[in-house]
Amino acid sequence: MEAQEGKQGVFETETERPPTNPLQGVIEGEEVGDENVLRFLDSMDGYLGLMDSLSATLRQGWFELASAKYSMGALRVNGALLDLKVHPAATSLTVTQDDVDSELKQPHFTLCKWVSSGNEKSSSQEVKSKEDDLLKTSDSQQPQNHGSSQMFEGKTSARDGATFEVDNQVSKERAKSLSMFGTLVSPKLRAVQPSFETALETIVEIVNIQSSMLNAYDQVQRGSKGSKG
Amino acid sequence: MAGRAQIPQKNSALVAMIADEDTIVGFLLAGVGNVDLRRKTNYLIVDSKTTVKQIEDAFKEFTAREDIAVIMISQYVANMIRFLVDSYNKAIPAILEIPSKDHPYDPTHDSILSRVKYLFSAESVASGRR
Repeated sequence: MEAQEGKQGVFETETERPPTNPLQGVIEGEEVGDENVLRFLDSMDGYLGLMDSLSATLRQGWFELASAKYSMGALRVNGALLDLKVHPAATSLTVTQDDVDSELKQPHFTLCKWVSSGNEKSSSQEVKSKEDDLLKTSDSQQPQNHGSSQMFEGKTSARDGATFEVDNQVSKERAKSLSMFGTLVSPKLRAVQPSFETALETIVEIVNIQSSMLNAYDQVQRGSKGSKG
Repeated sequence: MAGRAQIPQKNSALVAMIADEDTIVGFLLAGVGNVDLRRKTNYLIVDSKTTVKQIEDAFKEFTAREDIAVIMISQYVANMIRFLVDSYNKAIPAILEIPSKDHPYDPTHDSILSRVKYLFSAESVASGRR
């Protein structure tokens, strides 16, 4: 304990001490610049790593699609059968903006899988209200009857119900996107979906890291221009 | 980087694609396909019959659309319209060059990496440290 207090004391005196070195500001500026360079290099490393991962996932997807074409026949799985009727995308993105500093804004992309924009609000609200109802009933039953174990079970079953509802919707949306190649499709074609869903998740990660990399690059450039000026 | 200042917030934005048939079919199975009321799709299938003009038009259309957040483009297709892809510098829609079946991903052709390549040149590092 004493040793810890001693360390804290040293730390406090160091932080409270006013800057005596006139070059401290310059050094801090360089540290910030180095931090930006490190962030940039980290992002670039992540970008290249994720690109490798994306290539592997896409290869797997193409292989499964080729298997599906082989088992179903090339005429049943091709671009001519694509659904050209008006329909919203079942998987979309949400774009928000992160404030890195006062001048630079960095977009952040979030993937919303299997939520058709047509029924997005209704379905999510529906699921939420059902979950709330189930939670209320489980809570109201709890004080009358038994101990906390039952309440736990009730809540678990409520969550299971909500999860089931969401799973049900996801499987419906998946079936809908498969239906453009017929109602009875090969299991091999079903196996294509998870690969490309994973690829899509990787793509969103890459796009986020790309945005972070470009942001760090801008900051490094601004820093170097500032030091020149 | 004038285009990087303003970023509109979007609750539901699309992923657009310019790629070969198998890649498009795969991503359509993952649920990204959208056809709007004017029967416009968010993808372009590139095959041997597709002209460079068609690819250029699709790229310009997708980059101008406000409901698109990310454009995936096969790298070999991006190579056909490299001048357009390299000159694009907005944050949204973000452009991502992806590999295709017959053409593996080559980082030296990536427009994003070539944009930031400047930091790796010896001259820039030396001038920055002076």
